[in-house]
Amino acid sequence: MAETHESAGFARRARRLLLAWVALIALMLCSLGSAYLRLEPWNAVVGLAIAALKSAIVLWLFMDLARAGALVRIVAATALATLVLLLGLTQVDYRTRRPAPAPLQPAQQLRTPSGALR
Amino acid sequence: MSASLPLERHREAVAAARTASLGMWIFLGSELLFFGGLLMAYLYARTHWPQGFGQASARTHVVLGTLNTGLLLTSSALVALAVACQGPTGRGRWVPWLLGAGAALGTAFLAIKGWEYRSEWREGLFPGPGFALKAVAGAELFFVLYFLLTGLHSVHLLVGVALLVAFGRGTRKKRAWAAPRRVEAAALYWHFVDVVWIFLYPLLYLVNRHG
Repeated sequence: MAETHESAGFARRARRLLLAWVALIALMLCSLGSAYLRLEPWNAVVGLAIAALKSAIVLWLFMDLARAGALVRIVAATALATLVLLLGLTQVDYRTRRPAPAPLQPAQQLRTPSGALR
Repeated sequence: MSASLPLERHREAVAAARTASLGMWIFLGSELLFFGGLLMAYLYARTHWPQGFGQASARTHVVLGTLNTGLLLTSSALVALAVACQGPTGRGRWVPWLLGAGAALGTAFLAIKGWEYRSEWREGLFPGPGFALKAVAGAELFFVLYFLLTGLHSVHLLVGVALLVAFGRGTRKKRAWAAPRRVEAAALYWHFVDVVWIFLYPLLYLVNRHG
């Protein structure tokens, strides 16, 4: 009895993994197809949105975040939040500063011992 | 305290599995930030030289990139299935084969990536003197980031293949060190490398295909 229960559980899990794989390949093809459509400026957004969806599937089903405990979820969320925070705050810097290139030194020419320019 | 009672032993095993998984997740968090620096550089450069990035990205080999994406997604699915086969499902004998298949797909990915690098070198797309797109502003920066990101990813993948091969052999020979919790931790690492590639694929190969 216990064995058939385990077996059913495994079959369900395997089926879910198979569906996830089919979805991932389909999304990959959608991502490829969308890149050939002229959607400017949405091409990048669509590409990244599909990538986010694909990684959500990998994280949720392959990496088992769906069944993970609170501690693991907090670690994953913290890592993601830190990345977003660092990317965001760095962007703030680039977006708000006026580019002020450092005044370049004029190119220095070397003199040979005889005094001629090289 | 020795855990001689079955229930205690079971509890200890569960705690050990949780610790292994948590440790791997924390490591992967630091890995995410490791790639984060390069992603930041990419974000900055792409928003400053959108045209150059578009033209440079159009020179990458989209067929090989897509094929490699498919290989990694499939290998991840096989490794996830290997983890599902562990424990009391009675399918433990599949584990080494599934891990081995995952490692084989990873090796195929690296071989294709190597082939791709070779043709890019020949086309003059490697940054430096003789770079083919010298006249396009930002194109060289794109390829600097392309080689850094894919190179760093390939190093991670190589480590992943070594892990899968080791655990494939370990589980086949039923070694004590190839415990399910460790296979699970190695699988987490493999999936992470897959997730990194999922983002690299549109960022490097699909910037401007419609132009």
